[in-house]
Amino acid sequence: MTSNRAVSVESLEKNFGSTRALDGLNLEIETGTVAGFLGPNGSGKTTTIRILLGLLRADGGRATLLGGDPWKDAVELHRRIAYVAGDVTLWPSLTGGQAIGILGSLRGDHDPKRVDAYLERFDLDPTKKARSYSKGNRQKVGLVAAFASRAELLFLDEPTNGLDPLMEGVFTECVAEAKAEGRSVLLSSHIFAEVEKLCDTVTIIRDGRTVESGTLAELRHLQRSTITVTLEGNPRALGSIDGVHDLVADGGHATFTVDSAALPKVLAALSPLGPRELVSTPPSLEELFLRHYGVHPASVDAESDAPAAASAAKAARR
Amino acid sequence: MTSTSTAPTRVASSGDISSGALRNAAAGFGIMIGFIVRRNWLRMLIWLIVLAGMIVLVIDSQRELFPTQADRDAYAQVANTPAIAALTGLPYAAGTLGGILNIKIWMTMAIALSFAVIFLVTRNGRAEEEAGRTELLRAGVLGQHAYSLANWSVFSGFAVLVGLASAGAALSQGLPAAGAFLMGASFTGTALVFLGVAAIAGQLTRTSGGANGLASTVLGVSYLVRAVADVQADGDKANWLTWLSPIGWAQQSRSYGENDWWPLLLCVGAAVILCWIALTLERGRDLGAGLIAERVGPREASAALRTQVGLALRLQRGSIIGWTLGIVAFALFFGGVATAMADLLSGDNPIAQAFIGDSKNVLDGLLGFFLMANALLVAAFVLHSTDSIRAAESAGRTEMQWSSAISRVRWAGARMIVPAVSSLVLLAISGAAIGATFGAAVGKPDQAGRFTMASLAYWPSALLVIGVVVLSAALIPRAAAAVTWALYGVAVVLSMFGDLFSLPDWVSKNTPFTAIPRLDMDFTIVPLLVITVLAVGAGGVGLWVLRERDMTSA
Repeated sequence: MTSNRAVSVESLEKNFGSTRALDGLNLEIETGTVAGFLGPNGSGKTTTIRILLGLLRADGGRATLLGGDPWKDAVELHRRIAYVAGDVTLWPSLTGGQAIGILGSLRGDHDPKRVDAYLERFDLDPTKKARSYSKGNRQKVGLVAAFASRAELLFLDEPTNGLDPLMEGVFTECVAEAKAEGRSVLLSSHIFAEVEKLCDTVTIIRDGRTVESGTLAELRHLQRSTITVTLEGNPRALGSIDGVHDLVADGGHATFTVDSAALPKVLAALSPLGPRELVSTPPSLEELFLRHYGVHPASVDAESDAPAAASAAKAARR
Repeated sequence: MTSTSTAPTRVASSGDISSGALRNAAAGFGIMIGFIVRRNWLRMLIWLIVLAGMIVLVIDSQRELFPTQADRDAYAQVANTPAIAALTGLPYAAGTLGGILNIKIWMTMAIALSFAVIFLVTRNGRAEEEAGRTELLRAGVLGQHAYSLANWSVFSGFAVLVGLASAGAALSQGLPAAGAFLMGASFTGTALVFLGVAAIAGQLTRTSGGANGLASTVLGVSYLVRAVADVQADGDKANWLTWLSPIGWAQQSRSYGENDWWPLLLCVGAAVILCWIALTLERGRDLGAGLIAERVGPREASAALRTQVGLALRLQRGSIIGWTLGIVAFALFFGGVATAMADLLSGDNPIAQAFIGDSKNVLDGLLGFFLMANALLVAAFVLHSTDSIRAAESAGRTEMQWSSAISRVRWAGARMIVPAVSSLVLLAISGAAIGATFGAAVGKPDQAGRFTMASLAYWPSALLVIGVVVLSAALIPRAAAAVTWALYGVAVVLSMFGDLFSLPDWVSKNTPFTAIPRLDMDFTIVPLLVITVLAVGAGGVGLWVLRERDMTSA
């Protein structure tokens, strides 16, 4: 049912002339959760969000937003959502405070007290004309307007673009509070740490198609962890275990990656070898992401071999 | 370039410009000249062709209008009226073709060229700085003043070229060489002064709109000072007040008359001094900043601003005030000069026919023509105002607004109500102003009502402009501005000069402005209804398309 889903997108398609921007994209956001939306530039994140906002019309597939149709029910739905663009464009001759007031009044939930509180947290002067704001300050106008609203669903499209690290910290708090208030969030971002910290689920897209989605734990489960051990015995025996890869042994030290399914066997094999130290590192979101694009974090300069490496990575996963 | 040889030891200190420091500050000047010319050559060429072409057309028409010396002498007897003096300056050599040319076109040429230079200097100066592109250039090996110096040099050169082309156009029509060259030089001289004014305005304000506004205001004041001076002149001898206005200086060179070159030295001197001041100002300020400080604004949106119509009104406040003042000033002039001009136009010459149509009453015909010209001005405002729909989308401001709880139809509707209501008010005010000043001139103070009604008859035409602009913004958002202004240009030419092109009647009498019954004609409601239906149709289809299509990405 869609009732417990804030957003439900199935096989979404969108063409711009001969360019296929979305090619069967899927995306789900459970109510009250924060969903991360990852993909490189041009992969279709903003197009998806604009379709959900009723700014663009889908060419195929199905999209449901808070139980309504994002195109037909746009105005009604927009009372319940707030949006921050990656590049907030304001009226140059109006102040930031006026812009926030206008956006809040359009939705009908403008609350000066709430706005003031967020203005203070984001350290934004609302009396300056928008044309004198820096990029970061324009983003803050969008963020204050969105967080101060009572919207049930927030669309944040690379919202921390241009914010300083202090303000990114404030942003992280605000998203966590929004979630605590029961609001749903779609966060499109390039900052893995931000997504890892905030998001309950992650959707990774590539060329307009969803290539991976689920909770972070689920995604990690599909990937190998890296294990570093110091042993009394000879680690070479580990190489014969099915599911152990990339073994590098040097005296008593060994580093290897292991499929999560093979973990019990590996642990059983390790105990007789007298482990003195063991560190297991789950794959980072960055590694998960980069694997889909055929770029391994350790060898970013191999980017030119991307297609070959990508198919190799896919084969390895199977 | 030069900077590499001297830069390590020499840092241009603020305060003095020694020659070495200036060379540093101008590093990259030559490259910038090429850069600015490459970005503006077409625009400059069009201005040049239009302005020089106007000279040829006017000489030709005046030769036809006053074919013999006796005609010109007769004209000279009546040329010097206060209205002519105020509008176009003192008619000092009205018995010669060159003198008549100056009466008809000198002021238009000088002001058009000055506006061209102001807009071009701002467009390439303050507007570039506002957009942040100057920062990109200045971060390279480019002296502090190189860009501004190149900007002013290119458009000074443009002013000189237009002057030469105007002289050439006059020579090609057989006017005396001394007068032709001096006339061209006086256009250039006027434009150079306002180039200096624009250079300073670009230093003072932070926005290109502000710079254009400031420089245009100085131009307007110069025009009015000269008008006041010329109305108080003794015969065709200038009043001392004339010397307070740069336009007065250039006009006192009296080409085709006494042919004095020395007043133009004032123009050139003023231009050099103004540019020097602008350079000094530029040295003392930060890139991107203006010297007139940016004021802080309210921290809260007022209740009015939270309505769509209120927001649209607030965003267009400056533009509405400016257009209203301009249109009312024009209307006052129109009404004031009507009687003077009617005396000059006899009903049987072809040019007069073109302007006043088949009217039996020359004066009413002329006033009717003024009311239509006034309506065309109002239509330009309406076009500019409605174009905000396209402009907001192309600037990317619709992204957040259309994501809010407002339908696109309501959003666009508010931006259509503003020009619809303001055009109604503007037509009423300006019609009343023409009627009142005309009535005052002929001692019939009860004229305002009749003129207001005749002016309001053009309201459907203004609504049609709104409809067409919305339709274009919806269908062809990227090309809409160019297409709608081109259509407007065609409408103006057909309405004002349609009869000169010997077009068939069904064309020249059925354009959106000529179809409206004029002051002197019997009123019929049919054309107003037809145009209203077209306006509603175009606007309705436009709104429907706007609702159904994708938003255009910024």
